[in-house]
Amino acid sequence: MSLRLLKYAFIEDYAEPRYFNTPDSLGDSYDVVIIGAGGHGLACAYYLARDHGIHNVAVLEKGYIGGGNTGRNTTIIRSNYLTPEGVRFYDASLSLFRDLSAELEINLFYSERGHYTLAHSDATLRTARWRAEVNKHLGVDSELVGEEHIARACPELRQDCGGNHPILGALYHAPGAVARHDAVAWGYGRKASQAGVEIHQKTEVVGIETQGGRVSGVVTNRGTIHTSTVLSAVAGHTPGVLKMLGLSSPIEIYPLQACVTEPIKPWLDTIIVSGSLHLYISQSSRGEMVMGASLDPMELHSRRSTFEFVSSLCDQVLDLFPFLSEVKINRQWAGMVDMTPDFAPIMGTTPVAGFFLDAGWGTWGFKATPISGKTMANTIATGQNDELITSFNLSRFEDFQLVGEKGAAAVGH
Amino acid sequence: MKIIHCPVIGPRPLTEFTVVGVSAPEPEDLGGMSPGAWVFNRDSVPMERTEWWYHGATQLWFKVRRHTGADRIVGVELARANKNG
Repeated sequence: MSLRLLKYAFIEDYAEPRYFNTPDSLGDSYDVVIIGAGGHGLACAYYLARDHGIHNVAVLEKGYIGGGNTGRNTTIIRSNYLTPEGVRFYDASLSLFRDLSAELEINLFYSERGHYTLAHSDATLRTARWRAEVNKHLGVDSELVGEEHIARACPELRQDCGGNHPILGALYHAPGAVARHDAVAWGYGRKASQAGVEIHQKTEVVGIETQGGRVSGVVTNRGTIHTSTVLSAVAGHTPGVLKMLGLSSPIEIYPLQACVTEPIKPWLDTIIVSGSLHLYISQSSRGEMVMGASLDPMELHSRRSTFEFVSSLCDQVLDLFPFLSEVKINRQWAGMVDMTPDFAPIMGTTPVAGFFLDAGWGTWGFKATPISGKTMANTIATGQNDELITSFNLSRFEDFQLVGEKGAAAVGH
Repeated sequence: MKIIHCPVIGPRPLTEFTVVGVSAPEPEDLGGMSPGAWVFNRDSVPMERTEWWYHGATQLWFKVRRHTGADRIVGVELARANKNG
């Protein structure tokens, strides 16, 4: 037990300092209003204050901090993408993640595990080699490895896969990591809050006002705010926010489900992903097996969980790790994700002046939390798209300039 | 397991189907909309809509009326009535 905890046993009034300010009322106006207090929104607020001296910022959250996809993902952080723009972007995020615990003064349990994307077919092996070469060219540590390497890293893995789809090799990405996802939101929230940013929970945005093609205010369930700059950093509700401004996007909302088992002794110290089997698995620092699969089969605006998901996932997991058959599933949950046609985000400026978008984060958003906050802060402060995100603009669909990141999705969708 | 009640083939589990996408008539002309917007843009807010569903085992196509917010199926009909009954 830490001394700090022991101290509380002898003190009657031991209120911990609160992580965030809890302002009583909404202000009349702010320089910047951010919709969504998830990792991305709070990171942007933090970098606006730290890098650009913009402190008069309100972050509005319909629910509670980090209660959306920030707290629902399977916490994997990697940069072994397929396109050069993707690799550069996610690798910048990984660099920020490495120092983030110290910077935010909170233990993120950032843990580099090594990340294996298993290949069960020649086609997957070909994409793995392609990704390895693009990665190496850009200085990212990825390589194609064979059976022996995988067996050394994970002797428990049954490589013949029950005879159905034997493993032919894997894309190995040494920097692949996991982290405590809630702490990322709390850490950014606390630091932003200390810098003067206001975080308003249980505050729902119901409209965005414009004047002469420019953003002029935000209407919430607690009153109207004047502002010239709005960032939408929501997930699962982006089309609804865009509709407030008469904008359209290719985003479609799908549920993505995940689950954890009961905690067991540590045995898996790497991250295992199989696109062909539609699964990813790692072990949390609490000992739970954290598992996810591909998207639900149809568009849906709901966070309901299904038996179909958990039964088909377990079926595939047992092909790789038959000994897990005795382990119980403890919890399952779902998040609503913004899917885009090219598996890349939609970031930056929009046709409405003063309205910025950090959306389309599909199944790949958590790992990008630091860099999306940083680049969006820069984009908002300068009014110009940060050079790392120019390929991700909303206008790329009108121009048929898609990014083509589908080959680097963790699992087939 | 969610069960879909279909004409001709009766009650079937959801996992037997592939949801192909929304069924909407193609417009005569785009009326000022750019080709990129027509190809890519979606209106993904909760609504009741008709979708194409394919049943692999019987190779039958269905038109399924579904509410995308409530996860509720309102109606199922064969996409094209079979001439031979």
